[in-house]
Amino acid sequence: MLRRLGPAFWIGSAWIAVVLAAGLLADVLPMPRYDETLAGPPQAGPSAAHPLGTDGLGRDVLSRVVHGSRVSLGVGVGAVLLGLLVGAPLGVLAGYRRRAADAVIMAGTDIALAFPALVFALAVVAFAGASLRNVLIVLGVLGAPAWTRLIRGATLSVAQREFVLAARALGARDRRILWREIVPNVTMPAASYAFIGMAVAVVAEGGLAFLGLSVQAPTPTWGGLINEGRAIMENAPHLVLAPSVVMFLTVLSFNLVGDRLRALTAVRESGLEPVRRAAPASLPTAPHAAGDVLLQVADLRTHFVAPHGTVKAVDGVSLTLERGRTLAVVGESGSGKSMLIRSILGLLPAGQVLRGGKVYLEGEDLTAYPPERMRRVLGTRLAAVFQDPMTALNPVRRIGTQLAEPLRVHRGMSRRQARAEAARLLASVGIPDPARTLRRYPHELSGGMRQRVTIAMALSCGPDVLFADEPTTALDVTIQDQVLRLVHRLRGERDMAVLLVSHDLSVVAEWADEVVVMYAGRVVERGPTAEVLERTRMPYTEALLQAVPKLTDPPHRRLRVITGRPPDLAALPSGCAFHPRCPHADPRCATETPPLIPASDPPPAAGPPAAGPPAAGPPADGTPPAHQPPPAADGPPSAVTPSSPAEPRPLAAAVPPSSTAPEHLYACWHPRGAGTAITEGAESHGR
Amino acid sequence: MIAYRLARLAVVLLVVTFLSYVLLNLLPGDPTTQMLGLSATEEARAELRRQLGLDQPLLVRYGAWLGGLLSGDFGTSPITRVPVAEELVERLPVTLELLVAAEVLALGLAVPAGVAAARRAGRALDQALTALGFALLSTPVFVVGVLLILLFAVTWRVLPATGWTPLSVDVGWNLTSVLLPAVTLGCAQMAVYARLLRTDLIATLQEDYITLARARGLSPRRILWRHALRPSAISLVTAVGLNLGALIGGTVIVETLFGLPGVGRLIVDSIFSRDYLTVQGCVVLISVGYVLVNFAVDLVYAAVDPRIRRA
Ligand code: SF4
Repeated sequence: MLRRLGPAFWIGSAWIAVVLAAGLLADVLPMPRYDETLAGPPQAGPSAAHPLGTDGLGRDVLSRVVHGSRVSLGVGVGAVLLGLLVGAPLGVLAGYRRRAADAVIMAGTDIALAFPALVFALAVVAFAGASLRNVLIVLGVLGAPAWTRLIRGATLSVAQREFVLAARALGARDRRILWREIVPNVTMPAASYAFIGMAVAVVAEGGLAFLGLSVQAPTPTWGGLINEGRAIMENAPHLVLAPSVVMFLTVLSFNLVGDRLRALTAVRESGLEPVRRAAPASLPTAPHAAGDVLLQVADLRTHFVAPHGTVKAVDGVSLTLERGRTLAVVGESGSGKSMLIRSILGLLPAGQVLRGGKVYLEGEDLTAYPPERMRRVLGTRLAAVFQDPMTALNPVRRIGTQLAEPLRVHRGMSRRQARAEAARLLASVGIPDPARTLRRYPHELSGGMRQRVTIAMALSCGPDVLFADEPTTALDVTIQDQVLRLVHRLRGERDMAVLLVSHDLSVVAEWADEVVVMYAGRVVERGPTAEVLERTRMPYTEALLQAVPKLTDPPHRRLRVITGRPPDLAALPSGCAFHPRCPHADPRCATETPPLIPASDPPPAAGPPAAGPPAAGPPADGTPPAHQPPPAADGPPSAVTPSSPAEPRPLAAAVPPSSTAPEHLYACWHPRGAGTAITEGAESHGR
Repeated sequence: MIAYRLARLAVVLLVVTFLSYVLLNLLPGDPTTQMLGLSATEEARAELRRQLGLDQPLLVRYGAWLGGLLSGDFGTSPITRVPVAEELVERLPVTLELLVAAEVLALGLAVPAGVAAARRAGRALDQALTALGFALLSTPVFVVGVLLILLFAVTWRVLPATGWTPLSVDVGWNLTSVLLPAVTLGCAQMAVYARLLRTDLIATLQEDYITLARARGLSPRRILWRHALRPSAISLVTAVGLNLGALIGGTVIVETLFGLPGVGRLIVDSIFSRDYLTVQGCVVLISVGYVLVNFAVDLVYAAVDPRIRRA
């Protein structure tokens, strides 16, 4: 934890400590007294005897600055403590009690914010007398509302968490809950804000002193020193520079320390933290042949550099897609299927992502395109629809503006033409009254309507391939069917190919021609939809099938009936990645990665013994084990190209040339026969 | 909605005027001392107090003063014998020009800086801008002002250190006299705005609709300025309103430092001369201004974010 604070924190703390120590020891440090006139020649610049020079009366500037720190830090620390004392209890009260107390207290802070704080501080100090005590009280009290707000916010977030609600429901005493649960959780934001507050107080005191309304002469203050030095700035600039620099460094240190402390707890980054950056090199690609198909994805890999390791979101996926066909990619959430789409389209966030493999559109390698050229392909030939129509449309732009934009950019239409075309598109996706809808904002439409709009937008420039990432998951069941029907109809009308990502096998069964099952970033089973769903070989697919929601289930239920959790993509299990959750796993599954095997072949279970040779190597490293050569590069293109680079040689030969009827392949050492059902485990784990 | 906000506005103003009146009047210090000098007899003071109405109960005085406010009568300063309203009207344009110039400068620099930083988040430019912003944020306004004067007025002698030319006299001179004060005042604001915009823009750029805009083959520049900037500007708009308080506090110092005849300078002068009535007038003016600007900010909100219009 201390490591994460970074050097800025330590440098800031060190400077604060130095200033603090100097202020405390000011009287015993070997230097002239702050008010000793003619300690040196007047207005002299820095010298050995007077490191920061002397002022107009020959007083030592260093000594005056050091003594000034007493006032600044004293007020800084004192005002923060006072503000905390006044403001924090109110904040806890408002956040914990809510209702009336909250309303009254928040109205109070609203009013306090409308109060010109500095003006008020000026008036109070001027009328009540410029003394350290008065300055401290005024700044402390004026800082209290900010404390109240902060503590209220922090309390509010904690007070709604389960453990606190539970404790309250169980009748724990409020005082106990506050001390046990809330106070520890509020400490960190408070500590961070204390330093920021000190910076604010030091600046405010400086401002008062600059106006001559803080501690009075002869006691030096930083603001006062700067004000004094102003008059003879021309001849002796060091008089303003010295206290200015010290003050700047001190305020900066308080802010830095506060910011670093906040970064420990806050989700948002301030931009001061070091950024981890992936090496620009891309990942290796297994050799393959570019086929004569509409879309071919070959050995695609997408790895993220995360603090806890390399996340292999997509790890060697290959697939092909023909016009007029729908290919479904299925898997649990976290199986890498959404990332697959973003990776194919080249829409990954720059910086921390490594991509490998190739994407061919009618034989042209898209991964080699420069960004400019890729943009012309995106939107005109490839288009995408995402899961949540709520977030897929820009909330502050009208539907018409958003829909017309690609038409104007890619098809060079005039404003008028684009509008007419946009209305036509809306009509084609079944939106009543397109002209009115064009003038609307996304939040004025229902979810189903919005998804129709995003589909219209995706289709606006007549794409060849439509990527639909869970296009109906966020919609009601009745709307789901309408939207999928629409996609299906448009596919036919426009002779497109559709890549449909879904976790819902009932959707897949109805609309997809072929299916690819993904697990942990890899393909584990693929083939014609009917074939795969009826004669499932891979236990994971089987489990998915068992998890298909029944009519009696509540809508939008997630896949939860598969035992265990999806694996951590940064640390995949060895062997078959599914083995920790697989009811049929045996020792061999834990050590060796099964290749994709054609369903027509006899299962290779008769191969090496269960406790296979460790020479298979850890498969999680993404490189093909040495003893398994990659698929033959000269093999003819196939409708379904091999997925894993760890493919056994015989497979390449087994794939029929330019077959449009894909073969049923699966990755499992112990396949389930046709119609075999997994009975154990599935139902009993539906939490 | 509007009615509710107006009611709230009235309550806030009532409380602010009441508190400021009562607090200022409860503070020790007697204006008669200031007016008559320390040697005045007790009778003379009592007589003056009676003339000024200071012998009345506090609440009665507040009521009378508030009644006057509503008809635009802020009272007449017992010290300078000038009607407070007149003084304010004369000085307000200076302060307004300073505030507007500072905000324009701050926003004008913060938006490109924030966009540039967000676009290349984590790169060298971003880190340099972030560090610079942090430094600006940590420099007190009078330090900025003094350093700018040292550089531009004392060392290079290109801009005046003090003085004010009204806009009506000479536009060019007016702009030269407002430039340094406005930069001084706007520096910290710029840092605040740039930081806010950067954070929000980075969050916006991760939204689905931005990814989809990229999937439609739109150029990064178009996506940044046409798609991402406006949804990211919402907290910026709020910040402009909320920071006005800090900015007004800053004008007190900046006007003093640069010798500008604005409201801020008036506050300092009247505080030193124990001129309660003028101080109160200024406090009212500032509070009303703050509340009204935040009221306007809420309206701007709706222009920036259509979702709010219906709420
Ligand atoms: S290889 Fe087959 S049986 Fe073994 S763990 Fe994997 S899925 Fe289960």
